[in-house]
Amino acid sequence: MLIVIPCRNEAGNLPAVVAELRAARPDDDVVVVDDASRDATAAVARGLGCEVLRLPVHLGYGGAVQAGIKLGLRRGYDVVVTFDGDGQHDPADVEALAGAVAGGADLALGSRFQAPGAYRGGLVRIAGRRLFAGLCRALTGVALDDPTSGLKALGPRAQALFATSRFPDRFPDADALVVAHRAGLVLTQRPARMRPSRNVHSMHDGLRPAAYAANMALSLLVAALGRATDLRE
Amino acid sequence: MPLRQQVVFLALTGLLLLVILELVRRRRLRVEYSWVWLASGVSIVLLILRYDLLVRLTEAVGAVVPTSTLFMLCILFLAALCLDFSVRLSTLTRQVKDLTQELALLRHEGEARVEGGAGEPAHAAPEERIK
Repeated sequence: MLIVIPCRNEAGNLPAVVAELRAARPDDDVVVVDDASRDATAAVARGLGCEVLRLPVHLGYGGAVQAGIKLGLRRGYDVVVTFDGDGQHDPADVEALAGAVAGGADLALGSRFQAPGAYRGGLVRIAGRRLFAGLCRALTGVALDDPTSGLKALGPRAQALFATSRFPDRFPDADALVVAHRAGLVLTQRPARMRPSRNVHSMHDGLRPAAYAANMALSLLVAALGRATDLRE
Repeated sequence: MPLRQQVVFLALTGLLLLVILELVRRRRLRVEYSWVWLASGVSIVLLILRYDLLVRLTEAVGAVVPTSTLFMLCILFLAALCLDFSVRLSTLTRQVKDLTQELALLRHEGEARVEGGAGEPAHAAPEERIK
């Protein structure tokens, strides 16, 4: 299994995040995608024994995570897990996600709403997630209750799809799930005990919340109306 | 249209067309972009010589003054051009993203090979060594 950690300026958080991950998942490969950080993210990641993909120019979360997925796809991993570099995700949840993929799902999503006591974020974020979950369900019938979750396990078909230009690479959330659903992939969710980010500014703050919501709504619509993807393309 | 105006505008348009051709000749402007500009230059020439065409078009679209027809055509032309640029920008964005990822993957592969083969320190990417 390959665990992809897209990072921008996470040199401060990486040691704790990677240490926790290694303790829980000693046999998995970890690749840190350094999204043109201005701090020592790449050097820190190498020092921790991770593989490092260094993007020479800043692409944002979507482009960074897609680079990691492409690496996983080329090496032929059965499962690629996307994992945040800011300490939000609990390595203990990876097992259930990987199990879901091994059990036949193409994509397993970590959901904070399935896990009692998980951190849910502020009111605005909760409302936003509910809105996108509702939109997602209305447009496609995909019932996943935490569509903005960054913790995902991808089987080979999901990796192949997300490596193409059909992947919404600006900010893949609910729209990526809709694209996957439209491509005929099997989606499922598992509990994930999310925690507050260690950062004041995460990669996810790049877009202002309102602009983000508007973009995501449009992206969802495009994903729902777009031509269904044929994976054989 | 008075002869004097015709001469002045024909000269200006001729200059514009020459500039476009020169830009293409010097490879400063790609051929596929140049035809839009050439077409607009030629249509200006046409309108200068045959003002009655503009008047007839004005009547056809129901406008009152020929100038407003002209402005409408200009705005439509610019809007179409902007749309075309947006499409090209989207393509470029995707291409830059793909190339960036490819570069990162290739660099990683190269570093892994160096690490496995010559035993150089793998944690120094080329540009870090230069620094």
